[in-house]
Amino acid sequence: MQAASIAAHADHHGPPPAHRSSRVEAPTLGMLLFIMSEIMIFGAFFTAYFFIRVVNHNPWPAAGTQVPESVAGINTAILLSSSLTIHWALMSAKNGNRFGLKAGMATTFLLGLTFLTIQINEYIHIGFAPHDAAQATIFYALTGLHGAHVFIGLCILLMVTIRAFRGHYSPDSHLGMEVPGIYWHFVDIMWVIVYTSVYVL
Amino acid sequence: MAVTSPSRVSTAAAVSPRGPSRGAKLRAPGWYRAALFDVIGFAFAFGLTCLIRALMHQHPVVDGRAILPVALIAVPLFFLVGLGVADYWFYWASGRPTRPEDHSQHGAHTWRDYFRVNTDHKVIGTQYVVHSFFFLLVGGLLAMLIRAQLAKPGMQFLTPEQYNGVFSVHASILIFLFVIPVFAGLANFVLPLMIGAPDMAFPRLNALSFWLLPIGGIMMMMSFLAPGGAFAAGWTNYAPLSTTMPPGQLFFALAVQFAGASSIATALNFLVTIITMRAPGMSFFRLPLLVWANFATSLLVVIATPFIAASQFFVLLDTTLHFHFFDAFVGAGRNGNVIMYQHIFWFYSHPAVYIMILPGFGIISEVLAVKARKPIFGYRMMAFSLLAIVVLGFTVWAHHMFVSGMAPWIRIPMMITTAIIAIPTGIKVFSWIATLWRGVLHLDTPMLFALGFLTTFTLGGISGIMLAMIPFDIHVSQTYFIVAHIHYVLYGGSLFTIFAGVYYWFPKMTGRMFDDRLGKWHFWLTFISFNLTFGPMHIIGIQGMPRRVAEYAHQFAAWNLFISLMSFVLGASTLIFLYNIVVSWRGGPRASANPWRALTLEWQVSSPPPIFNFDTVPTVVGGPYEYGVPGAVHGIFKPPAEAKRGAARPVAAGSGPPRRGADGEGDHP
Repeated sequence: MQAASIAAHADHHGPPPAHRSSRVEAPTLGMLLFIMSEIMIFGAFFTAYFFIRVVNHNPWPAAGTQVPESVAGINTAILLSSSLTIHWALMSAKNGNRFGLKAGMATTFLLGLTFLTIQINEYIHIGFAPHDAAQATIFYALTGLHGAHVFIGLCILLMVTIRAFRGHYSPDSHLGMEVPGIYWHFVDIMWVIVYTSVYVL
Repeated sequence: MAVTSPSRVSTAAAVSPRGPSRGAKLRAPGWYRAALFDVIGFAFAFGLTCLIRALMHQHPVVDGRAILPVALIAVPLFFLVGLGVADYWFYWASGRPTRPEDHSQHGAHTWRDYFRVNTDHKVIGTQYVVHSFFFLLVGGLLAMLIRAQLAKPGMQFLTPEQYNGVFSVHASILIFLFVIPVFAGLANFVLPLMIGAPDMAFPRLNALSFWLLPIGGIMMMMSFLAPGGAFAAGWTNYAPLSTTMPPGQLFFALAVQFAGASSIATALNFLVTIITMRAPGMSFFRLPLLVWANFATSLLVVIATPFIAASQFFVLLDTTLHFHFFDAFVGAGRNGNVIMYQHIFWFYSHPAVYIMILPGFGIISEVLAVKARKPIFGYRMMAFSLLAIVVLGFTVWAHHMFVSGMAPWIRIPMMITTAIIAIPTGIKVFSWIATLWRGVLHLDTPMLFALGFLTTFTLGGISGIMLAMIPFDIHVSQTYFIVAHIHYVLYGGSLFTIFAGVYYWFPKMTGRMFDDRLGKWHFWLTFISFNLTFGPMHIIGIQGMPRRVAEYAHQFAAWNLFISLMSFVLGASTLIFLYNIVVSWRGGPRASANPWRALTLEWQVSSPPPIFNFDTVPTVVGGPYEYGVPGAVHGIFKPPAEAKRGAARPVAAGSGPPRRGADGEGDHP
């Protein structure tokens, strides 16, 4: 190495800090790219939906079955409101409001859990199984893929909630909840698209 | 980033291999705990499956076919946790304070360190490359088996079912476990050095993405042990053929998930590293083209790879849970769609061929500029054509489906876009040739492979243009012409660039020089036997010999015997490479910091690079390819303020007059 080791490094184990060549935070950018990937996996499932419903001219939903639009509509409202509460939690963290942070995270987690419970309950009572017809297959595939994302999102939210209750996050340091928040907003927006195409249209 | 917490000491002590008790060994991250967790993972899969079957009143409760897919998911995940890739994330999830990556595990001191979870991008890069070459040998041996079977008409060694399994595993291993990861490995080693970064943006994620790979590879090889044999529907795994096959099929569908997750994680890591961690002064148009190439490739991976993941999810769901994605013939109201599989599969797998060649383009740009001692011709057009390939790569997928029975009108736009995508590729080929024009060519091994690549890849590109034409494609579909084309672009294209890259960066990665004489033997043997193996396949392809069949008509006997003999020479030539690499790594002459007199930053540090790459982050003051330009400097080891004051002593080589005929090897002490 040509450059001499600087004395200031003597007590410091590790490389020099990397130069920041962009204003965007690395975890935020990583999450946005990951979401791009996630959008594409939903895209592949919607391609299957397109082929089964539009290209194949299958009746929707399959003959003799129906999908509970109104229950799922209420569920949509529950999930969307959780986007508001997580935003409230983030704003509270930025303003140093610890009660708002904790209450916001706990509410968000509970709303997400309610959504997932209602969704599972819907599977039990819906009256058709994925192997009954191609329409049922893609119904379960799309809602199930989204449900899996809600589940993963909930796991992350649980960690953030635990950390919030343990005193983490402050006005200067809240990236650790901002980035999971981006993911949660993505899960919510994706549900609106799934709900519209599977239940409403 | 700079903060080091005192808790590092305790983790370092836990990893210490010196004499812990057996219980401590099982608790500390490593192979013992991984083995223990494998057992737990299998028990978990067994218990979960039986529990669900009991709750759903299915008989028998213990069913091997139901346990297998669950175990194939659970055991690898438990293995990863046992090995220790997720230890920090569990620590974080429990609510304890964040701990910036403290780099305490950087560097490898013995060969054993390469078998541990390591967050150093240089160690991970070496792990990737060596691991990939292991799978090159596996895939190559399977190819030898294929050629032995095809040496004479009629059945030789394999049954038709075994033959189908062998060529499927051959293709899958070489694509998913060799070509894609070896490029990620080379870039992992070189890219952070090239942009002046101390490491990748997410070192722990980087370690995870490496350790996902052996899982995929072992799974593919293990499929030979499955009842009913290995997966045998080709690497394309077309449904509904694949959904009606023995359980070996599951191994493919799941191995692809692990390899795919690995690719996405690495690609994301590369993109974030390139965007956020460039050295001061390293603007996008000062990036070496290898970085540009990996930027473009990573975009393709992040956007396209989810499609193959989804296609294999569909296959899994159809096979194991009897979904009806592809079930077109079940009767009223169950209409799945068969063509849908091919659309989704090729929407990934066509971009995947660019994933398998763009990083190679980057390697060739590096090697040609350095070895011709000339600035790269048309730098900006080279970068833009990479991006053009990324965009156009998503518009051509259905040219793989001209005979699939899709709506005929789709063929026309796909033919046109396929012809158009040859333009950016052509820009690159002509720019490389223009770079060579009147250069001072150093014909050593990396350069020979780069020139060999230009020849064979152009030939493969021309047969690609032929295949874009619908009538010709219909004529040669499912024949050896396709086999010839794919091997010209993947062997003569990708593998030649990989050889060029491995030889070129070998001194940097190992600190040793390879034997250039053996390297030249390797090149000429490979180049000649490669063309004699795959060239004649064009002819028998046009004559109509079908691919993916274990035997053939007698009229093709003479050519096939010739091809098989040449393929054995080709296989043997790889042994020269292995011998050269192993012997040089163990005892080759020491390499100097910059044996090729290159300007890019990775050559401005010692060989092998210091443990943290740079003591101070360098400042970039000029383009990366100013070879032959007097006084040209790319980067200097000074902070930007001092660099601006000018007259800084350049550390970069290349300002001296180029020495004719020097092949770089004379530079080592």
